[in-house]
Amino acid sequence: MSASTPILVRTPVKPFYFNTSAHLLRITPQKSNTLAEFLDALRDCPEGSIFQHSFRTLQEHHFIREGFSNDFAHWTLSACNEPGLAERLASVDVREFTSVAELRGRFIQIVENFLQRAPATGTRMARETFYFCASDTVVIPTSFVAHTLHEFTEGLRGVSVHCIHHHFIEARLRLKLMSNDFSQWLHEDLGLTEAARQLNRIDIYTMTLEDVREQIIRVVERALT
Amino acid sequence: MSKLSGSWRERSPRARAHYMEPVEPQTESELAAKDSQPDNSASSVAASSPRPERRRQPRTWETPPAPVPPPLLDDYKNIVGTADIDELKFLAQEVKGRTVKMVNSTAVGGGVAEMLHQLIPLLNEVEVKTRWDVITGGNDFFEVTKAFHNALQGSDYKLTQQARDIFLMHNEQNRKRIQFSEDVVVIHDPQPAALIDARGGASQRWVWRCHIDLSNPNPEVWGFLRPFIERYDAAIFSSQSFTRQLPIPQYLFYPCIDPLSEKNKDLEDSFVQQVCDEFGIDRSRPIVTQVSRFDRAKDPVGVVQAFKQARKYVDCQLVLAGGGASDDPEGAAVLKELREAAGEDQDIIILDLPPWCALEINALQRASTLVVQKSIREGFGLTVTEALWKGKPTIAGAVGGIPNQIIHKLTGVLVHSVEGCAYQMRYLLTHPDFARQLGQNGREHVKENFLMTTNVRRWLLLCRILLSGRSK
Repeated sequence: MSASTPILVRTPVKPFYFNTSAHLLRITPQKSNTLAEFLDALRDCPEGSIFQHSFRTLQEHHFIREGFSNDFAHWTLSACNEPGLAERLASVDVREFTSVAELRGRFIQIVENFLQRAPATGTRMARETFYFCASDTVVIPTSFVAHTLHEFTEGLRGVSVHCIHHHFIEARLRLKLMSNDFSQWLHEDLGLTEAARQLNRIDIYTMTLEDVREQIIRVVERALT
Repeated sequence: MSKLSGSWRERSPRARAHYMEPVEPQTESELAAKDSQPDNSASSVAASSPRPERRRQPRTWETPPAPVPPPLLDDYKNIVGTADIDELKFLAQEVKGRTVKMVNSTAVGGGVAEMLHQLIPLLNEVEVKTRWDVITGGNDFFEVTKAFHNALQGSDYKLTQQARDIFLMHNEQNRKRIQFSEDVVVIHDPQPAALIDARGGASQRWVWRCHIDLSNPNPEVWGFLRPFIERYDAAIFSSQSFTRQLPIPQYLFYPCIDPLSEKNKDLEDSFVQQVCDEFGIDRSRPIVTQVSRFDRAKDPVGVVQAFKQARKYVDCQLVLAGGGASDDPEGAAVLKELREAAGEDQDIIILDLPPWCALEINALQRASTLVVQKSIREGFGLTVTEALWKGKPTIAGAVGGIPNQIIHKLTGVLVHSVEGCAYQMRYLLTHPDFARQLGQNGREHVKENFLMTTNVRRWLLLCRILLSGRSK
């Protein structure tokens, strides 16, 4: 479809219910003072810890544009002074994973490879302990429901950034798809496949969540015109 | 002895909210200082020079301000957004009508009481019916619990049978005195920990909220308390690093600040200016500030040393605002050392303020170019939270709960030495764009994690999780 062709937006099959998730931080028994202990803890910690230190940390630090992609990368840089390992861990994009188990496997693989090449670093004491935490999550509704694309943009403007994170970033773990709730609704219920695809190309690692919200709104508004 | 010319009521920005009579100077030196005080009436403030005359003995007030009515949740909408407040209300719906009891050891003074005064009205507003009881006890009990408190944070202590008996006897007396019929009972800190003996039906949930650092406790005292703690359904700590290994779920609740409190609410710039004029601070030059009681753990002398190093390269003033020197012999000694370290340096302004000068502290933080908290030991470090909330680039020691707040070079800078502190002062004062970005990030970090509204969210979540049985 060319850019100049008007898009006929049909009535959605079902409305979009904006929900959000609230998380309570739990401190787990796992902690590490060396990279070797860190690797062990990565293997043994609950899935909630992997989720907390990757998906959730993006939400907790949603206002930062650079230098903070996950807690593991941050600790290996700031407490272990291993920038090479930190870069590799930071490059893990949570959007490439639809299960926490796969994501855990990727982190383990990176640390294992690093320790195989530099085994002496495994027992060196870190400057600070890494405490593995986990999230207990409760999903709650919001007052926003979209029956039309116009209401959808109003909802996007009105909800909290936690809601944006819930639908746009966390959603892939629920959907088990390389996608998000917004794209799914645009594609499946409104037939706006190109807009859905464009949303999946928004870079969450170089923008704040407020920037992400603005980008989503721009894509949806373009679909409205 | 002449009265102070004019009245604070007329000339103080504080007078808009409340006013207090100044403490009359008592000593000869105070009288001399009083007689030399400049007339800071409104007209003279308006005509003040860019370099205000130093006031080495700022006026203080002998009574605290009248209490301010507690805010409503909707009052926070302008700060955290309507969506966040609406989410809290949705979150509360499933626990509406459930009952909570908070128990601690003091109704006034200290961070726990202050937090409960703010939290409980907000929980009641969303119809989570929350009561607060304070345990009673004689001097013997509070002497024992004070010793426990220090021992749990690492001090040497020999636990005697007498101390155990006093602790248990007073807990038992409070158990008989207080009704425990609520759905969730929250016991704050070690003093009332043995009240777990009052545990009722199987559906009731008991939570131990530990506000102190348990990372290195006296083994005898912890060994005595631990069996009580293990009988709770959950424990809450203020930082990951403050915890012990326990067989019950442990949650992380960061301490928080209230953005609507006197210490943190927005202020008119005219008020900030008047406070600076009163204290002899020149706002046309960079201001570096540390706010903390006069305590060696806060390393105020180290701050002076860092300032003196930094000032070789960049023009600035240092403000050290604190308290605790009047009622604490160690505080008085630290203040004396600090004054000796400062010498006759007119750019080092030391302010010994009473604890109710929240508005003035707020104004000093807002007037600052940089805020420093160069602690060498620290609890959570709420003065850091306050500075970050005001968008101030902040330099702080990497101790206690401070690394939870300051992500190095993203929400502030962490330092480990006088030299590091001096370098960061120089760097941030000469790189204002970077400093501004740190300040912006710091404020957002507080908004997301360390505000009272986030604390309400955590309590509501905990009630939902505990009462649904998910924590088991």
